Amino acid sequence: MNSRQDTLTEQDTPRTPAPGVGWEEFSRELVAFFASIKLAMFLFLFIAITATIGTVIQQGERPETYIQEYGEEAYRWFLRLGFTDVYHTWWFTSLLGLLCVNSLTCFYKRFPAVWRSMKQDKVSVSLAFIKGMKQQTEVTLPGTKESIAQQMAQHYVAKGYRVLAKNEGGEVTLYATKGVMGRVGAHMAHLSATVIVLGGLLGSYYGFQEFGVCLEGQTYHIPRGNFDLKVEKFWIDYHENGAVKSYNSTLTVLEGGESKMTKTITVNDPLVYKGIWFYQSSYGDAWDQIEVARINIKDKESEKVVKTIDLEWQKEQTLSELNLKLAITDFVADFAFNSTEKKVYSKTIEHANPAIKLTVNERSTVQATPWIFYQFPDLFEIKDSKYQFELVGYKPKKYTGLQIAKNPGINIVWIGSTMIVVGITLSSFIYHRRLWTKIIPSADGVTVHVGGATHKSQIDFQKEFRRLSEKIRTFSA
Amino acid sequence: MARSLFLFDMTFWLYLASLTLYIAYLFARRPAMALAPAGHPSEDFDERDGAWATQLGQVATLVTVFGWMVNTAALMTRAFERLEHSGTFAPWSNQFEAMAYVSWAIILGYVVLELRYKIKAIGAFVVGIGFIAMGAASLLPYRYQTAEPLVPALNSYWIYIHVSVTLTSYAAFAMAGGLGIMYLFKERAEQRGSRSRFYAAFPDLETIDELGYKAIMIGFPMLAFGIILGAMWANYAWGGYWSWDPKETWSLIVWLIYGAYIHARMTRGWEGRRAAIYAVFGFLMVIFCFWGVNFLLSGLHAYA
Repeated sequence: MNSRQDTLTEQDTPRTPAPGVGWEEFSRELVAFFASIKLAMFLFLFIAITATIGTVIQQGERPETYIQEYGEEAYRWFLRLGFTDVYHTWWFTSLLGLLCVNSLTCFYKRFPAVWRSMKQDKVSVSLAFIKGMKQQTEVTLPGTKESIAQQMAQHYVAKGYRVLAKNEGGEVTLYATKGVMGRVGAHMAHLSATVIVLGGLLGSYYGFQEFGVCLEGQTYHIPRGNFDLKVEKFWIDYHENGAVKSYNSTLTVLEGGESKMTKTITVNDPLVYKGIWFYQSSYGDAWDQIEVARINIKDKESEKVVKTIDLEWQKEQTLSELNLKLAITDFVADFAFNSTEKKVYSKTIEHANPAIKLTVNERSTVQATPWIFYQFPDLFEIKDSKYQFELVGYKPKKYTGLQIAKNPGINIVWIGSTMIVVGITLSSFIYHRRLWTKIIPSADGVTVHVGGATHKSQIDFQKEFRRLSEKIRTFSA
Repeated sequence: MARSLFLFDMTFWLYLASLTLYIAYLFARRPAMALAPAGHPSEDFDERDGAWATQLGQVATLVTVFGWMVNTAALMTRAFERLEHSGTFAPWSNQFEAMAYVSWAIILGYVVLELRYKIKAIGAFVVGIGFIAMGAASLLPYRYQTAEPLVPALNSYWIYIHVSVTLTSYAAFAMAGGLGIMYLFKERAEQRGSRSRFYAAFPDLETIDELGYKAIMIGFPMLAFGIILGAMWANYAWGGYWSWDPKETWSLIVWLIYGAYIHARMTRGWEGRRAAIYAVFGFLMVIFCFWGVNFLLSGLHAYA
């Protein structure tokens, strides 16, 4: 962020023509290119345009989803250009890198001038320089140059300006400046881009983000933190109208079997232990466990329900009047059978085709473990059994979805964020103002020439300058 | 619920009235403005108006201020209703309330601008946008207008600050957009050499340009702050400060667009017409970020 004002003063330095294209010339050109506002504008807009891609095309979906929606040819192009994960492609990352280079080079090129003007500034300027400024005025006042200069300097100081004065060559030159922090702010914002990107990189290299599906009562090992996490409890709170108000998990951190901390987490309130954050992220029905199932026991001959029982998960129940011992030993939400491994598993996490595995022990002679399907009650039959079992309903166990994340770069990101907000705010609301005053003795007193410049907020400055020129007219010996 | 909805409705009609009055004010003014020295938005403009126009202008201001007060009352009533039903009191917890809040902020911004710069002609444009925001809100289906309880992810103190700061920045960009449109109107009239009294009431081009720039200078840091507050919230709620969700990506896009504008202002030739067109374009992007994303794209902010 720089202004025309600097180009105005920089013109004074004569350019030494270099013979041929030397390194100095090349590096100067390079700095000029990378520090240029044009490059910044290009990058801002180009990043903005490319960032829209990922909002229109769903990111990180399965290939089938893209092929179905856009066709195979388009999907091939998506892969080539990285459109299925735009924000992590080499070219998008390079754009962000280039933005950092751009802002750093700008800092390198322009901050020294800002720094100098904080320390010292150019007091001596020519009368033509003052007369050529956008805001300028000329007043003739009675009095000596010293007394007028004194009053003017006092007025500037009262208005919050820093004043430098020179009395030589028969005239007094005053230089007054205010609001250089606006420019410092701009450079602070420039540096912040790199700080944020560095924080982001640190997070993506040394951090992780995982999703865990956990069940009440279970203990899980967190290898990255080398401790265990026990899910003590999970529950849901509801509003009056039945909408979900909050969902909560009580978690205990165990290290070497010893309980270190317990906290009830909820959305917006995670648990943090050893830099690892545990978020309450979601919940749902477990696909491999239930709490309780309701079973109808039918007599095969009469086809009548002789008893309906509620069986708890993996708890054997004895029905002595029917000579039965029953237990639910397994559950799948979406039944599938792997024929090579001879294993039953759940195809998806949806409750599309739920089935329980019932362990039946009848008169201690018939023993069987049939799978009983919720949707197909007649699929299985135990040959020697008097009874037919039907699954009429079940209550699935809720799982709690925990997001587990560690981000060692986060504090750097927050530092960068603070810098960008403070920096932009300073540069938006404080503007750098510079006033030059020359007081030249004339026939009937002194002639005061005042010129002022700012790089923005022209209207406010114009008003201020008008008030200033009115004020000057009241000065006298 | 009925109470706040009645007040929101009343706000809508009052803004319509004040917009009409501001437009009438433009037509009522005498074309004497052409005599005023360019570049000096002086405080004594009103003296150049006919008595009739001056009165009209005063009534317009009064109606606007009254409308804004009703808007405030509506938001506060809604806050109390929310407190009863949904465990938060932020009256910007759904699309409807957010729109009503944005128009509140736009009108507040306009009133401050009018008091400070004494230029009433801007009212026809900026109050117009505030009115459109309120009107668009009231066109939403009823189920969007009620104070339903918040989903768990939104039920946090972050909603007070993240949402209000972001919406206020939208309001600033809306003002800049309105001023941009005004600039283009005025410029076209000047090019055609129009002596219409309608355009004569406008402040000079440089003033409109500078005010538009100012509005963006207010919106730009606010949006940055709003995005960062959002990142902090996300870090508590979603398990990561940035997840390239459409809403946050679009707010970044909008921020980048205005970032380019702010840098462009530093180079020659990016004031005036170009800047005005750009401000209108930026405002369209804000509208998309605010409305389009919610209704056209899916993502984590889907509830907003």
